[in-house]
Amino acid sequence: MTLSTQERLASAAGSPSRPRGGGRLQASGLPWILPALVLGVGLIYYCIGYTGYISTLNWDGASPEPLSVGTKNYSNIFGDPVFWKAITHTVLFFVVTFVVQTALGVVFAVIMHSHIKLAVLYKVIIFVPVVLAPAIMAPVFRQIFAANGQFNWVLDHLGLGFLAQPWIGQESTSLPVIMAITIWQWTGLTFVLYYAAMSQIDQSLIEAARIDGAGNLRVLWSIIWPNLRGTTVSLGILSAIGALKTFDIPWLVTIAGPNNSTQFLGTYIYQMTIQLAHVGYGAALSIILLIVALVMAIILQIVARERTGRR
Amino acid sequence: MFEVRRWWSKGLLQLIATLLVLPYLFPLIAMVQGSFAGDGWGNYRDVILVPGFFRFFLNSAIISGGVIVLVYAVTMLAAYGFSKLRIRFREVYFWLLLACLTLPEVVLLTPLFTTTQAVGLFNTYWAVILPLAALQVPFAVLLTRNFINGLPDEMFEAARVDGASSIGGFIHLVIPLTKPIAAAVLIFTLIGAWNDYLMPLVFLQSQDMQTITLVPQFFVGEFSNDQTKILASAVLTAIPEIVAYLCLQGLFERGLSAGAIK
Repeated sequence: MTLSTQERLASAAGSPSRPRGGGRLQASGLPWILPALVLGVGLIYYCIGYTGYISTLNWDGASPEPLSVGTKNYSNIFGDPVFWKAITHTVLFFVVTFVVQTALGVVFAVIMHSHIKLAVLYKVIIFVPVVLAPAIMAPVFRQIFAANGQFNWVLDHLGLGFLAQPWIGQESTSLPVIMAITIWQWTGLTFVLYYAAMSQIDQSLIEAARIDGAGNLRVLWSIIWPNLRGTTVSLGILSAIGALKTFDIPWLVTIAGPNNSTQFLGTYIYQMTIQLAHVGYGAALSIILLIVALVMAIILQIVARERTGRR
Repeated sequence: MFEVRRWWSKGLLQLIATLLVLPYLFPLIAMVQGSFAGDGWGNYRDVILVPGFFRFFLNSAIISGGVIVLVYAVTMLAAYGFSKLRIRFREVYFWLLLACLTLPEVVLLTPLFTTTQAVGLFNTYWAVILPLAALQVPFAVLLTRNFINGLPDEMFEAARVDGASSIGGFIHLVIPLTKPIAAAVLIFTLIGAWNDYLMPLVFLQSQDMQTITLVPQFFVGEFSNDQTKILASAVLTAIPEIVAYLCLQGLFERGLSAGAIK
């Protein structure tokens, strides 16, 4: 995913391009990469192939003689309203979490670079959620956002009691809660990356701008932000893939509900395959998820290349 | 970055920072506070006294350890092969591996379920270690290969002229020189394996095999939905992660952000 970034950086750093064959080490490298290929490619492609086969069956996972149905599972999916709901949620989820995390990450990074007090403590607080398992935090968030939970308690004490509502118990607010939890969890990573990227910005650029009379916000918008583009693109790719993989939080906090309002592809596949034993249908969903992920990765890769080419 | 000279603008920036950080602290406070509701420390005592509570930690440690060893071994070998040795169709293999980066683990469920049952690996550590390692390997190889690409070819040439085999080059050059990137691989593999929920959920059915990510669920059954004790168990399972992070801050931040750029 991040290959282009890395290749670009490597070539920018002036590392010599490696000659192909010829005077290089003569030993064949195939035995060296074989274990990784067997484990990675072997296991994963075997699973994908197997899933592809199952996706043409009408199978409950246990019956010894599954019924072959051709592409019926796939045509059913396209008429399945829950599938389209899951797709819509994934797109919305990606856009919102990515935009908010980017904004917060940049703001935190700028502030922490501005000699404030307690910066180390703040950094630790923002980063701790990254290392905590979503599965462990899920019950905490169930409690916080419950009708009598701490979030409503805080609203009450801020004089915003009229906003109090059963956040995870109703369709209108359940998806935003899932997004909020995800943002809480991953801002730390965004922040650390932007923080590192900002330390690489040439200070003389910023000083020159200041001498020309640019204020803080002007410097942020015209100098700092454009210099962070590489980081932003990488984070975009990461969030997009993350959005497609979303499972733990919506499953454990809202069980993909109420009424499918927090249904994602991952949770839907799990429900279909494990809970309802529609294994063939779940497999077809998996294949579609896989195709979407691959196509998206390729598109993002191309977009990222064009962007950086233009610079 | 920002220039703040006057006391009031300094104060304003500090205030903004504090207000922005508070929501990040809030769930942690809510967790700790909730875990003391009702019985106070008694909640913790009840959780610890549940037979087999430490078994969850042991299982998570065994699985994470297994994944790390496996990922490290195959990654180092493969990255060296891809970077410094001759392989026909090298890029084809590499892209086959990279395509796995986008793979959501839920896609693996059904085939792994039937296969592990067929070969008798179901409900063993291997049923979780192997797929988790397989999912981590592509990215680990990508990172490490790029790192080894940065090591000069001449060094390996010189070693070869001095009579070192490719195995010698691996042991005496690659292993010691890749320590920085190995640390990053170690951390994101650890976090990935330790925090994984779906694989243990599906493939580890018996109670003495389960990992810490299944603890909350286990206690929902154990304490018939007594929230305070569930939160106490959440605090206890979060502590090792927070302590590990605080001890190795730099390593964690570098390791996890290696996931985005280098």
